[in-house]
Amino acid sequence: MIEFEKLRVVIGYEFLKHIRRRRLYVILALTLFTEVAVLILLPALQGGYPDDVMAMAAILTVGPALAAIGAVFFSGDAIAGEFESKTGYILFTNPVKRTTLVIGKYISSTAAVILLITFGYSIVAISLLSIYGSIPIETLESYGMALLYGGSVISITFFFSALSKGGMGATVITLVFLMVISPIVDTVLMLTDTPHWFMLSTAGDSIATVYGGYELFIEGFVPLEHIDRLPFELENPDARLTSLAMAIYLVIGFVFSIIFGNRRQLV
Amino acid sequence: MQNTVTLLTVMDEPIVIENLSKYYNHFLALDNLSLKVKQNENIGLLGPNGAGKSTTLKILCALIRSSSGKVFINGQNVAEKPEQALSNIGAIVETPEFYPFLTPEETLKYLGRLRGMQAGTLKNRILEVINLVGLEKWITVKIEKFSRGMKQRLALAQTLLHDPPILILDEPGLGLDPRGVVEFREILEDAGKDKTVFFASHQLTEVTQICNQVAVIDHGKLMAYSSIAELEKQYNSLENAYLELTGGVS
Repeated sequence: MIEFEKLRVVIGYEFLKHIRRRRLYVILALTLFTEVAVLILLPALQGGYPDDVMAMAAILTVGPALAAIGAVFFSGDAIAGEFESKTGYILFTNPVKRTTLVIGKYISSTAAVILLITFGYSIVAISLLSIYGSIPIETLESYGMALLYGGSVISITFFFSALSKGGMGATVITLVFLMVISPIVDTVLMLTDTPHWFMLSTAGDSIATVYGGYELFIEGFVPLEHIDRLPFELENPDARLTSLAMAIYLVIGFVFSIIFGNRRQLV
Repeated sequence: MQNTVTLLTVMDEPIVIENLSKYYNHFLALDNLSLKVKQNENIGLLGPNGAGKSTTLKILCALIRSSSGKVFINGQNVAEKPEQALSNIGAIVETPEFYPFLTPEETLKYLGRLRGMQAGTLKNRILEVINLVGLEKWITVKIEKFSRGMKQRLALAQTLLHDPPILILDEPGLGLDPRGVVEFREILEDAGKDKTVFFASHQLTEVTQICNQVAVIDHGKLMAYSSIAELEKQYNSLENAYLELTGGVS
């Protein structure tokens, strides 16, 4: 049996795992809840939706972005879980390369993230069509960015999963990296006028800024004439550079997760 | 010439362990262990806790790497060609767990497909092994509802699924009730007639009923490798042999 056929088998059963686990549906529900909250709260608190469809589209990206980050919750135990929960004692005694197992797990996690992000963008599309009667073409670009961001989040999670003792540890480390370390470093770099396109939080922002920059996003909530001045210069991320950054995170995280996953022993 | 002779020996024996050593940081778990298991021989690997039994089995199953030395399964170097070596074995190592969201049928289908078994053969074989281990009523129930003993039965089913020529078993009776232990022993006795069984256990009774040979290890060293009859003759009983060889009797 060639390794490619084994890969197909691994992908199938790993995807089944995602389908049967509650966390996929929790993230789907959170995505839906976030979008519904925006759709209800925005008119309730400021008397209506923004005039510009682009501003509304940018605001609605919070749902799919949340879905991409949610990937952490079902990728954290992808590698570490086999060691922590001892399922590796069954799986690894089969004639299948560890590389095949990691790739299969990665592809199935990616498929689940695509499902989540697509769900988020479906809500965005339906909402924009209902409110404005049109969907900006930039939504496609934002969708592509969100997929790339989701892929890089999975790669980083896999990397930590290959190194961590347990799935929970990998999940927490990845979330701290994504939600705390990266934004702090990003802000410091921005305040000191240093290039920061390579930070994953900047890359994540580009999911929304493709519609017209930070200003448009902020204006969706508060008209800019109501703000005296921003505390620092808002430099919009360059979509090409942030795409490159995300691709680098995706490839490096993925390759290292395979290397460390292969080296790891079931002691 | 010497290499050719070595290779022929390695190809002859289903399990060959050569000068195997394993360090966990500074702790020496296996100390230059060498052992050859002949075809269709059922060997009990005996030794106290920490003697190196599980470490030996894990290296044989490519779950961990040795610090030095080699192991061969049906002539395949496990470190160099793990997939080829593993295709010849069915193994239970430690207390394995299964994906809780799958049923026994789905689990065995997954593992069978990973081993390249054809759909038709696999379906029949799954029913056979499930019946053999007495899980027929639980075949479509998710494993999250299973007790330790039921998981151990499923573990045995997956070792026999692809009808491998070699079984590597680490305390397979762990977690089973007395009836389960007896049923397990009968299954292994039957399977052991035309398979090579390498079986680590603390239970001397279990070993005497399944195995015809025993290897006693202590502190990672091979203390004895002989037939049970021979050891009983030399030490009056297998229990005495075990205690004396592992330092339990002064």
